[in-house]
Amino acid sequence: MCSKLLSMRSLIQPTNAILRQVLICQNKTTPNLKTFTTSPVTCVNFFNKLPAEKLWKSVTSVSNAGAKKGRGKGAGRIRIRDLNRGQVIGVGKINMLWPGLSAPVIRGRELLKQQRLPDDPDRMEKIIQLRDSMTKFRRIRLSPIERGWSGSRMPGRSIGAPDPIGEDVFTGFDTKVLQLRSLLIMKGSLGRTRNYQAMVVTGNGQGLAGFGLGRAKEAPAALRKAKNRAGQKLMHFEIYNGHTIFHDFYTAFGKTKIFVQKKNEGYGLKCHRAIKEICQAIGIKDLRAKMEGSNNLQHIVKAFFIGLLQQRSHQQLAEEKKLHLVEYRAENEYFPKVVASPSEVRTKEEIPKDETLDFTQYVMNDKVILKKKKFPPFYESMPHYKLHLKKYEKYRNHEKIRLNLKSEYGEVKSFLTDKYPEEKVETET
Amino acid sequence: MSLPPASGTGRFFAKAAKSIRLIRQGCTNRPFFHISVTQRRRLNSQPVIEQLGSYDPMPNINNEKLVALNLERIKYWLGKGAHVSPPVAEILGLSGFFPIHPRTYMTAWRNRRTERENLAKQLEAEKSKEAAA
Amino acid sequence: MTLLFSKIAQNNIKTVITRNNDLQILTISYRKLSIVPSLYDGKEDPAPKFFSSNVQVLLKRLTRPDFNKVFRKRTNSGLAVLRTPKYKFLTNEELEAEILKANKKADVLLQMPPVVKVHQPVDDVLSKDPALVGYDSAKYLFTDITFGIANERRLIVERDPDGTLRHCGHDVRKRLNQTYFPIPGRKIKEPMMFTNEDRFNSLLDRQEYEFLLDRACLQYEPDEASYQRITSITYQHIDMNKSYDLLRSTRHFGPMTFYLTWHQSMDSLMLELLQSGAVREGVLLAALRQALLGDVANGDNAQALAQQILPTPIQLAKPERLTEEDIQLDNKCVECIEEYIVSNSAMKSQQELALQGFREHYQQLIELSRGLKKAHGNA
Repeated sequence: MCSKLLSMRSLIQPTNAILRQVLICQNKTTPNLKTFTTSPVTCVNFFNKLPAEKLWKSVTSVSNAGAKKGRGKGAGRIRIRDLNRGQVIGVGKINMLWPGLSAPVIRGRELLKQQRLPDDPDRMEKIIQLRDSMTKFRRIRLSPIERGWSGSRMPGRSIGAPDPIGEDVFTGFDTKVLQLRSLLIMKGSLGRTRNYQAMVVTGNGQGLAGFGLGRAKEAPAALRKAKNRAGQKLMHFEIYNGHTIFHDFYTAFGKTKIFVQKKNEGYGLKCHRAIKEICQAIGIKDLRAKMEGSNNLQHIVKAFFIGLLQQRSHQQLAEEKKLHLVEYRAENEYFPKVVASPSEVRTKEEIPKDETLDFTQYVMNDKVILKKKKFPPFYESMPHYKLHLKKYEKYRNHEKIRLNLKSEYGEVKSFLTDKYPEEKVETET
Repeated sequence: MSLPPASGTGRFFAKAAKSIRLIRQGCTNRPFFHISVTQRRRLNSQPVIEQLGSYDPMPNINNEKLVALNLERIKYWLGKGAHVSPPVAEILGLSGFFPIHPRTYMTAWRNRRTERENLAKQLEAEKSKEAAA
Repeated sequence: MTLLFSKIAQNNIKTVITRNNDLQILTISYRKLSIVPSLYDGKEDPAPKFFSSNVQVLLKRLTRPDFNKVFRKRTNSGLAVLRTPKYKFLTNEELEAEILKANKKADVLLQMPPVVKVHQPVDDVLSKDPALVGYDSAKYLFTDITFGIANERRLIVERDPDGTLRHCGHDVRKRLNQTYFPIPGRKIKEPMMFTNEDRFNSLLDRQEYEFLLDRACLQYEPDEASYQRITSITYQHIDMNKSYDLLRSTRHFGPMTFYLTWHQSMDSLMLELLQSGAVREGVLLAALRQALLGDVANGDNAQALAQQILPTPIQLAKPERLTEEDIQLDNKCVECIEEYIVSNSAMKSQQELALQGFREHYQQLIELSRGLKKAHGNA
């Protein structure tokens, strides 16, 4: 590989050499015609015999067997470079001023003359750097805030508010890409063509949100379409106490099933990343969602939106059941707080025997979340772990004692340390 | 808990002789004793039948030695005919549960005697110093 | 009287402070002078009076329990993260049963820390054996750790180096009980907030009364001198700042009222009650004083009136409408308080002013409610 690169670098030199030769020829021929010969000058070598295309092919091509083995791919792959990039006509290794070519003929009132300017030592380096930048694959670095779910890939990235419609501007909105993928479509005339499909969610973090799907030949166009469509399909959601949903619910779309649980403040969003983005767009802060079945992203989004829309407020629930809805909070010592009362309450005799009275079961539509059994970590059954426990049993309270001593005396010492000062000296030495 | 609880897991025969004794726990340079009942012919490192108390022989910051005694269970085992080892008998004697053990009196007397002798030696040394001066 | 004197002294010293640059010494003396801790160490034992059902009921009513505050969000409920709330569908009967349960729970939460006399020092020698002199230079402490014995009745004895066998003092008993049967939250060493005067005063200045009293309940026994010292200083501080509302609906309001009444310094509390228009509670306070000290003029009247007041619902806010019974009862209360002010009060003019203000406001309220009744008819 090294040799190939070296050979490429040497490509530059011949052109210069030819130029120089021509110059020399001109210089020589005009004053003295004696040296003029009619025999052809052979200016043909390996580098100017073949077109650039073929030369490059000889460098970059991989044999059939090699391609099968996966050579010529990935990091070590050689790419074709445009050697003309960065080169300007009239500017060369020797820094000459050519009026009419690399400079104007008249500058101000002065007629410029052909002259040699001081050499630019960095010129070659700059060109090489430019060529290197063409070949090396560079990942776009984004600041951690701008990054999506996975680096600079689009999903998870923010693409701003939807475009204003007429005079209506989407202030306070932000759009997150949920999915951007290429679809291949067979066309009769064109064969296989590539389309891009994007799914985005937009919201203002205060209850308004919507999702949109856009398709286009190019990725940015697809994103823009999806974003604007999402802006057109906004829905409003009530948020319970400004931080979570009203109650647990079960929702499904196709084979995707989602079990969503209401959580208290400070719990956070523990769910699929797409659901997390949706919640952030709406303004929900605490929730847990478990998925079962298919994890098709578009289905997840649709199912979650359906579930949110089908929520019932506490008053509605109480009216449906014709019973008081009472809330118990651990931090309030489980004080029964009536959150909703129906207009008329049923008595105990009026309730049929097989009616579901359990709140969670009722709002979850009798669906139960599968709770997998938790197994102990693998190492707990191993002999070394038992040895470790035995060994460290006697140190079990040491940290606490150290802390207590430090808080009491300012260092790890006890009343016995003063009694036996010789011990301290020994430990220090 | 990885180690068996010190409060007693040892198996025992109902009719075998039992003994209430001190069993050293703690670590190097830091003695600490459990008052436990075990079978008489059993090593102190083996699990005990039951722990009956504890004894910390190192005086704490207030110059006190702490002893804990589960008197109800001690009475039970004594009723079963358990033998009491001399150090435990001394502790129980000091606590007023037993009569004072003779060895306690002996130790006290010996301590007083050595103190007296040391005092006498000191006086002598001072006198000889004065005489020399 | 000592309290009154101290308040005057405090004002004087404040003026002195402004003149002098030597702030520190003076502020300490100001603190010492302003609040003198007073313990229940007199001849009379407050316990029988405190525990009598009559006084307990009065104290509980004076606490004015508001369930929103009793069951407020607590940070110290031992939870690392907030739990998800639970919901239930309840019928009317079930809801009533739940509310009854909550009332019982509130009673537990509002159970007052006992008010008792300071304990007497223990001096109970069991035996003396001079032959044991020289056995050991350290004391031996013996604790009976028999299962199922209460901490107060546990047998704890000590053998001194001079051969004396005796029962341990209260401090040692507390330490050993905490060593062998630890109460969670209690420390063997006294916390800095009680021992360090600056920290204690900073807590008082920040009005963290409930925290202070809760921690004191946990750390000390009610018959300890240090407990009574700390609580008495706190109560007096509250009394000086008139921030009674901070203790309302907590378990400490009863003991505080008891303390103030016992030491005959409940007049600023009475003034606060009159200013906030709670004349019924004023009568209860007078009845409490009659029950504790028996020096209220026409005290039996106050106690009889208190029995009438107790069945009525607690007034958490000022009433907007009045029934005829209410008006009758309140008029009786005003009369009773008038008598109290004339005969027993130490802040006569202020209290009379407050009562006059209440009367005027009340007259308007009566007219309003009677007018409304007329407008709506008798239905």
